[in-house]
Amino acid sequence: MPREGFQEQLDDLREDVLFMSEVVLERLRMGLDALERKDEAQAEEVIERDDDVNRMYLELEQECIDLLALQQPVAGDLRFVAATFKILTDLERIGDLATNLGGYTLDAEREVFPEVDVQAIGTATIEMVEDAMAAYAERDAEACYAIADRDDDVDERCREASKLVVRDLIETELTGDETDPEIEALMTDVSRVLLTIRDLERVGDHAVNVAARTLYMVENDDDLLY
Amino acid sequence: MSEDTQATEDPDGDPLVRTDVSAGLDDGSSGTASGETVVRAEDVSVWYGEEQALSDVTMSVPENSVTAIIGPSGCGKSTFLRCINRMNDRIDGASVDGDLYLRGKNVYDDDVDPVALRRRVGMVFQKPNPFPKSVYDNVAYGLNIQDVEGDHDAIVEESLKRAALWDEVEDRLDESGLELSGGQQQRLCIARAIAVDPEIILMDEPASALDPVATSQIEDLIEELAEDYTVLIVTHNMQQAARISDRTAVFLTGGELVEYDDTDTIFENPAHQRVEDYITGKFG
Repeated sequence: MPREGFQEQLDDLREDVLFMSEVVLERLRMGLDALERKDEAQAEEVIERDDDVNRMYLELEQECIDLLALQQPVAGDLRFVAATFKILTDLERIGDLATNLGGYTLDAEREVFPEVDVQAIGTATIEMVEDAMAAYAERDAEACYAIADRDDDVDERCREASKLVVRDLIETELTGDETDPEIEALMTDVSRVLLTIRDLERVGDHAVNVAARTLYMVENDDDLLY
Repeated sequence: MSEDTQATEDPDGDPLVRTDVSAGLDDGSSGTASGETVVRAEDVSVWYGEEQALSDVTMSVPENSVTAIIGPSGCGKSTFLRCINRMNDRIDGASVDGDLYLRGKNVYDDDVDPVALRRRVGMVFQKPNPFPKSVYDNVAYGLNIQDVEGDHDAIVEESLKRAALWDEVEDRLDESGLELSGGQQQRLCIARAIAVDPEIILMDEPASALDPVATSQIEDLIEELAEDYTVLIVTHNMQQAARISDRTAVFLTGGELVEYDDTDTIFENPAHQRVEDYITGKFG
């Protein structure tokens, strides 16, 4: 096959992106787990190692730019590089959201809103990212649509969870004797849980972005982009 | 492949026939609505002796556009170009089958004068081929042999300006065209081609012998020419085809037109796997 070197570069890029996604997913699992177990050491590890993800992101972005500049890919090859370039950004952002989970773990001084099942929402979004990357690896267009459909369910669960927190807050009976620091702590708890829910919802959105770019890559179909 | 309008008789009369060479050539008959079909090939096949160089090619070329023809060596793309102005007539053993219409008139009809045809269909070749004459005489050559009326000085100046060469040669009009650089020579050839006011300009790898700067000048020029002319360009440089053309035709081995579509479609999402394999370099 002609242009063997170029084809090898494309294969290498695909492999590297999949490796980066494994790292990001691992950080996401660690962040969610740290939140569950209030494991501050693990939370700090997730935060500190975000630099690894950022470095991978910049390196792979440069690989894409080099391929565009030096190889001028067209057709399916072009769509692969263009989709990959966008997917890298989503993976980097997911890495950032994993570090946020680490940060929320460190900030949490007590368990609040136990009825909000953050773990279930987190697990659902992690599975969406896993499946989106599998679709990218396997060039599976059908799976892309399925991932987009699942995001509606995640969004609904996040909405319900947020409502639960707000309702709980409204129903909290204040005695009037609370000190300013106590009220401040309550507000911080509410903000943290709402931000956690929002970040997990965003992980789902990034998974859908990956699926949308994968569908474009495979079938030149922009149906899922917006 | 997109559907195209059926070829019809030329509503402006028939400037191609031998008895009516001058009529209609310069009457602005090409100034019809953008997108109208100028060239229509229907089942065009070409043989060089026993060897088939082009196989049942059907395609329509819209006016005021750049159409690129790409494909591997020997795929028939230059042969197709030469069908349009009947340059294949000059090749011993070449035979053409099928219909090729220029604004509804079949250029292979018996009453078509190839000389009149080539006045409406100019051609620029791979290697710049100015005559060993002055810059001025190179551009005026076609005007003189075709007895074109009008102010030749003005036509020469306008043609050189349209070819983006005037600024570089206005003080050198008496110098030999062969004294110019390669890129300037090619633009001189383009000026020569457009001096007789053709409708169509055929270009057979017009920049392949030029350096990147001269190539860029030719590419810019082609895009500008498409505002007034219909340009068909054969190129081995796929990126050049992608850069400058509106439509791209992909010919593959055996003289087969495999795909013809908007250039962005060809280079982003071709319909045929063979085309994808060719343009991505998986098929050599």
